[in-house]
Amino acid sequence: MRHLIASEDFREGFVEMLPACLGLVPFGLVCGVGAQAAGADWLATLGMATIIFSGAAQVLAIQLYAADAPTLVIILTCFVLGLRLLMYSAAMAPLLKPLPPSWQRSLAFLLTDQSFAAAIRRFAETHDARGGGLHFLGCGAALWLMWVVTNMIGFYAGNAIPASWSLDFAVPLCFIALVAPLFRSVPTVAAGLVAAVAVIALDALPMKLSLVAAGLIGIVAGTIADVARERWTAR
Amino acid sequence: MDGALKLWIVIVVVGALNYLSRLSFIAFFASREMPPLLARALRFVPAAMLTALVIPMVLTPSVAGSLQGVNPRIPAAIVAAVVAYFTRSTLATLSLGMIALWVLQAFAR
Repeated sequence: MRHLIASEDFREGFVEMLPACLGLVPFGLVCGVGAQAAGADWLATLGMATIIFSGAAQVLAIQLYAADAPTLVIILTCFVLGLRLLMYSAAMAPLLKPLPPSWQRSLAFLLTDQSFAAAIRRFAETHDARGGGLHFLGCGAALWLMWVVTNMIGFYAGNAIPASWSLDFAVPLCFIALVAPLFRSVPTVAAGLVAAVAVIALDALPMKLSLVAAGLIGIVAGTIADVARERWTAR
Repeated sequence: MDGALKLWIVIVVVGALNYLSRLSFIAFFASREMPPLLARALRFVPAAMLTALVIPMVLTPSVAGSLQGVNPRIPAAIVAAVVAYFTRSTLATLSLGMIALWVLQAFAR
């Protein structure tokens, strides 16, 4: 364990995630405040942060729980929202393939929107599975620690922050910081644009299905644009 | 059903389903070759999925309402996107995006 944490790749991942962690602090606070307002005790709040480890799923679960939705409805809705993790898992699969199964099973737990984006970028730069794995572990550890701490602060003290500061806007800003630098090729822009239009058009779908559906449509659009560009340049 | 028990059922089941989703294809393709077209499509997961996540967050409180009225989050998000594109820095995106929102909110008042 100690040599893992002492490794350069691990520390690089940990440090690289710190600005993102700062931006996600309000998200963690929101989850903690919501849990407290919905009547969850501190142990359940801690359980959500450590076990579910997904802001979007936690906010949704708490909202539905506070609205007294049936258990099965809460579980199904959170599962649909979590379907994007399938796509992240598939995209990470070739990168983690050289690593032993025990590593794959541990790293999978740390797969989130943020750590996924950071890991993909890192692997694209180095193509080193072991270093990339350690880097991913560092990213995930930083996010997980920050997540548990901020959820609990939110539970005990989150209401002290005035709403007029609009700190919740830091959450989309973190995602913008991840996604905007990607738009440097035509197929990537196509994927993003189509996903953006689709998520607005499909907003009325139940159970937040619009997110996963729009993501899939965007991926198809990007792939078609990529194939078309290849045909075009091959002529 | 007891409220605390219900919440714990949700926590454990959603946690388990999330973990299985996270592990799914990592485990599946650990011993199989991935079809080339799929590998190609997966390169667009970050751009498409993160965009689909972020758009509704900017268009809050409601997507329909934001498209009709003036929502200071939209121009602030555009400022942040431009900063992110050129600097690739999370910290710069965060700080300038928040400042843009605060300035716009001050003017809107």
